[in-house]
Amino acid sequence: MDNLHVDTLVVGGGIAGMQAALDLADQGFQVALVEREPSIGGKMITLSKVFPTLDCCSCITTPKMSAVAHHPNIHLLTYCELQSIEETGSGFHAAIVQKPRYVDARKCTGCRECEYACPVTVPSPFDRGLGAYRAIRVPFSTAVPQKAVLDMENCILCGKCEKECPAGAVDFTQQPEPFEIETTTIIAASGFELTPLNAKKEYGGGKLRNVVDPLMMERFLAPTGPYGRVLRPGDGKEPTSIAYVQCAGSRDQTLGVEYCSRVCCMYAVKQAMLISGALPMADITIYYMDIRTFGKGYEQFYQNAKAMGVEFVRGKVAAIREDGEQNPVIKVELTEEGRIVERTFDLVILSLGMTPAPGSNGTTSTSLSASLGLPLGTDKFIAIPAPNANPCASARPGIFVTGTAMGPMDIVDSIVTASSAASAASAYIREHQKEAVYA
Amino acid sequence: MSDIKTEAPSRGEMLKRLRETHAVSVERTQVLFRAQKQMQQAICQFIRETPKTVPEIAAEIGKPSHEVLWFVASLKKYGIVVEAGMCGDYPLYQRAKEAQA
Amino acid sequence: MPEEKKFPETTPASEEVRVGVYTCHCGGNISHVVRCERVTKSLGKLSNVVVARTDPSFCSDTGQAIIEKDIKELGVNRVVIGACAPSLHEQTFRNTVTRAGLNPYLYHHVGLREQDSWVHGDDKDGATEKAIRLMSAGVAKARLLIPLDPIRLGAEKQALVIGGGVAGLRSALDIARQGIRVTLVEKSPFLGGRMAQLESIFPTDEEPRQLLHELIEQAAAYPNITVLTQAEVTAVSGYVGNFNVRVTQRSRGVSDEMAEALAAACTQETPDEFNYGLTRRKVICRPYEGCYPPLPAVDWEHYDGQPIQLNGKSVVLKDEPQVHELTAGAIVLATGFDPYEPRRGEYGYGEIPEVATLPQLIRALSRVPEGEPLTWNGHPVRDVALIHCVGSRELDGVHEPQADGQVNNYCSRVCCTASLHTAVELRQRFPKLNLYELYQDIRTYGRGHEEIYRQAQAKMVRFLRYHGDERPEVAAAPAGDTHPVLVRVKDTLTYGEEIEIPVDLVVLAVGMMPRQIDSLVNMLKVSRGADRFLLEAHPKLRPVEMAVRGIVLAGTAQGPMNIQESLSAASAAAAKVASLLGQGRVELPPFVARVDESKCNGAGACVEACLEEGAIALQTFQENGREVKRAVVTPANCTGCGACVGVCPNRAIDVQAWTLAQYEAMVDAIAMETPAFSEAEK
Repeated sequence: MDNLHVDTLVVGGGIAGMQAALDLADQGFQVALVEREPSIGGKMITLSKVFPTLDCCSCITTPKMSAVAHHPNIHLLTYCELQSIEETGSGFHAAIVQKPRYVDARKCTGCRECEYACPVTVPSPFDRGLGAYRAIRVPFSTAVPQKAVLDMENCILCGKCEKECPAGAVDFTQQPEPFEIETTTIIAASGFELTPLNAKKEYGGGKLRNVVDPLMMERFLAPTGPYGRVLRPGDGKEPTSIAYVQCAGSRDQTLGVEYCSRVCCMYAVKQAMLISGALPMADITIYYMDIRTFGKGYEQFYQNAKAMGVEFVRGKVAAIREDGEQNPVIKVELTEEGRIVERTFDLVILSLGMTPAPGSNGTTSTSLSASLGLPLGTDKFIAIPAPNANPCASARPGIFVTGTAMGPMDIVDSIVTASSAASAASAYIREHQKEAVYA
Repeated sequence: MSDIKTEAPSRGEMLKRLRETHAVSVERTQVLFRAQKQMQQAICQFIRETPKTVPEIAAEIGKPSHEVLWFVASLKKYGIVVEAGMCGDYPLYQRAKEAQA
Repeated sequence: MPEEKKFPETTPASEEVRVGVYTCHCGGNISHVVRCERVTKSLGKLSNVVVARTDPSFCSDTGQAIIEKDIKELGVNRVVIGACAPSLHEQTFRNTVTRAGLNPYLYHHVGLREQDSWVHGDDKDGATEKAIRLMSAGVAKARLLIPLDPIRLGAEKQALVIGGGVAGLRSALDIARQGIRVTLVEKSPFLGGRMAQLESIFPTDEEPRQLLHELIEQAAAYPNITVLTQAEVTAVSGYVGNFNVRVTQRSRGVSDEMAEALAAACTQETPDEFNYGLTRRKVICRPYEGCYPPLPAVDWEHYDGQPIQLNGKSVVLKDEPQVHELTAGAIVLATGFDPYEPRRGEYGYGEIPEVATLPQLIRALSRVPEGEPLTWNGHPVRDVALIHCVGSRELDGVHEPQADGQVNNYCSRVCCTASLHTAVELRQRFPKLNLYELYQDIRTYGRGHEEIYRQAQAKMVRFLRYHGDERPEVAAAPAGDTHPVLVRVKDTLTYGEEIEIPVDLVVLAVGMMPRQIDSLVNMLKVSRGADRFLLEAHPKLRPVEMAVRGIVLAGTAQGPMNIQESLSAASAAAAKVASLLGQGRVELPPFVARVDESKCNGAGACVEACLEEGAIALQTFQENGREVKRAVVTPANCTGCGACVGVCPNRAIDVQAWTLAQYEAMVDAIAMETPAFSEAEK
């Protein structure tokens, strides 16, 4: 790997990182985009449709991914891990490691012959583990770059992939390759992870097969999902009664997640609408304490869902257990009636919240902020010292933050903050480089 | 990059090292692979002629239904199994005709 | 900086037309209704079609690669794609074909999603047939496509920002920091907008005017920024890169030397809008000490023209408006919001003196000295009810429509946190108050907002929850009652109990309305949404751009936002302006009128029909030794509306890429029972 000299290093290739990179590159700045996963696209590319426009998510994400990959001013560095940064006086010096794909990315054409040849099937994180792919694979159908990657932890070294590859791209001798990037500014776009499905013992502690997280439901609803239709993962039954438990991972002091995750109301409403479309006979109940459809067009979206017959019930879900047929049974306090009832469903979705993205290989959840030397807020997201003056500036000059790295937000807010961070970074670069010239 | 120049090891040498460093994971995966193969064969055998639901397959081969569903989904993804209608609330799955040929 | 895009050389006219047809599943949006395979099979039989394919998403990198490969390897030289709306991905695919070496305008986009699958979900056969017809029409058009070049124009490295509130200021500063000159136009005599009327910003409890002044100082001192106060945009023409703008600026009316003295001497008064009418002010005034510009100015709307007596002299103030003509490459709309003004009688507003809005309460609280008790209308305040969602989340058929016949069905998003923030402040300053929050849903969504909700709960604010269709009622208490007002609410937290609360003050947490900017909207030809706020190009992907290129949005002109969100949007708007103008040139699509000189006889009907200024004109030419008149189009001024095409008696004018011949071919293809189509149906 050659060392790079750029104006901005964007860390994270989800929607926020991609948009920030594009905005800077469009202004003529040189950008390096470093993504830990083998493909860019982040969480957004795994979603089914987006609220409130109901655009097919892959249809609005993949062109951005493509634009990033083709932009002459963007150096796209996937499957790379940021190790550390140092201040240099004129900017930052970042140490990065290219992780071995065991595939020569220059030779790979993305034909997938290796994947078809590979005998080992492993759970695909793209489908939240409910779908499968092979130990060597192109991570998903719309991945950028379309290059295979071999998961050495699940490889039996049978060599079938190497034999089948028409391009001679499989390379078992690849080693991690360190390289360096000199940059004037950094944009942290490290994203989020869901609060864990197993966090709440009262809700089954992650052991109930038919209690799922919302990103699983996104995959069931996506045309490329693991089942190609909405089925419950316990036994493949098409659910006819479905419940959403709101604030299942937010506004909950016992979980240490005291904040509102902002997107859960809207994704529940959206999924309920999409399920009504896919399974017209299904009845859908959303248990909530406050419906927070606050964005532009969101309240109208919520009213539409009500009109479509989605049932909104104000209630605190105390516990979820399973009956003899794997059906989740919800115990809920109906706050408008003052009584506690039990109700059985085919499938329950816990509307989990957002926490900061975890580090790789089990490192602490704050690895990116730690390697960037950034203080965190009480919510563990990267702190913004002056939100009402410089909403994307971190505590460290030259480092900006965008998207869910600075707290829960939806796609549109991620895009706005990405452009905002790009604006702040570009002004910083111009002023900084001007200083450097006159110094 | 490192300034220290060392003789690059040969490909054979590197593969040997890879086998050594990954001995544990290779062995673990081989066990897993054999189990997977058995499971896949059992499923495909049972639905070769007649389409079945996931609970039916699970009952036949004596495995939990969620595991069976995961395998069926993966076989479907790679074109070995296809959906063949519904039985009540459950989709039916069958061994793909093309894949058998 | 990237090289200027070079489009491939014009395809020779004699070249064989080889059409590639691509029907996209649109990730299920189309394929769940339209049988894409059948469409593809049918289209493959049309003449000139060399390849017809379908894919889950042609807009993905893999999908685009398929098209590129066909262009390179199969010699495809016309591309037809049936997918989502052109507004979403036409540009994506233009870039695709350009990368493969084809002129970008040899591609035609068919909106199968909006025009077919989304509207015919219940009729798969019919939708499939329609898709075949629409796509066949696309192919018919594609056969007649010719290579075109975009119109390339120089762009002024100058931006116009309309609105001097926090969003406009932030935008102006961020644009200027990119080396682009900015003119900031503010209608009122002072900068700062609505933010200056606040006393404390949630969740940081910062002093808003302090933050605002730091921003104003930076912006006003920035060499690239010209600030025009008391100024309004009165005319706009032109297009992205070259908007010609007329700004009319009123006089400040008093010289810097005399301003303070005249303000002191002035006796005419009017309600003070800075305090939302709670107080009165003079017609020569400033909103508050420390405002910018710092000296008083004349309020021409209310000044009655009478002389002011100063040191024995009579001074008559004169407004001598100044007109500025300027060119701007891009325009930022940061026109802001007005708090919702409740109707007379709505929750007793305007009829019961003890009913006020939250913005009024915030102003009133700023006038209560520390340590003194809170009074309202001369009475001590003991019990306060705050009612949420006033002018927001209204329901069609339940609530009385606004003046324009619509209900405000949107959430104003800031009022929950603002209301709770105020409740916490009230509790701190006046510990003995009884506080009631009447709400539907508490929407403290932002970072640090939920903490304010928890504080309010901990501080014994009493919460009562009503249903959207059963809002609380406010009535004057009978004479001699302990309190002046009664609030009745059906509280769902106590299982629907009817509760009557006697209070001394009712505070209405009013929502946001866009400012009245009709003339600006008409001049700029921009769109508003059903909620009357300015409409973005795409609510998800292009949240700060407008459909009209070169016009971007900042802050609450687009919809309700808090300060932090306004700042983010304003900086994002600046990034878009910098991308657009940074290169010093812009490209416009070539879809403009074009005159066939051999057919034009100078009749001039086109000039009369033209809706734009300077888009088409008759010019005199020498032809075979005599003078003739011919119509000439100025592409930069033409919007491609086609008004000229319809009136030309000689069919001498066409809009490029949308020619009459192309339309005819399309209509024929749609109407005809083509053999390919019949076969597919069999």
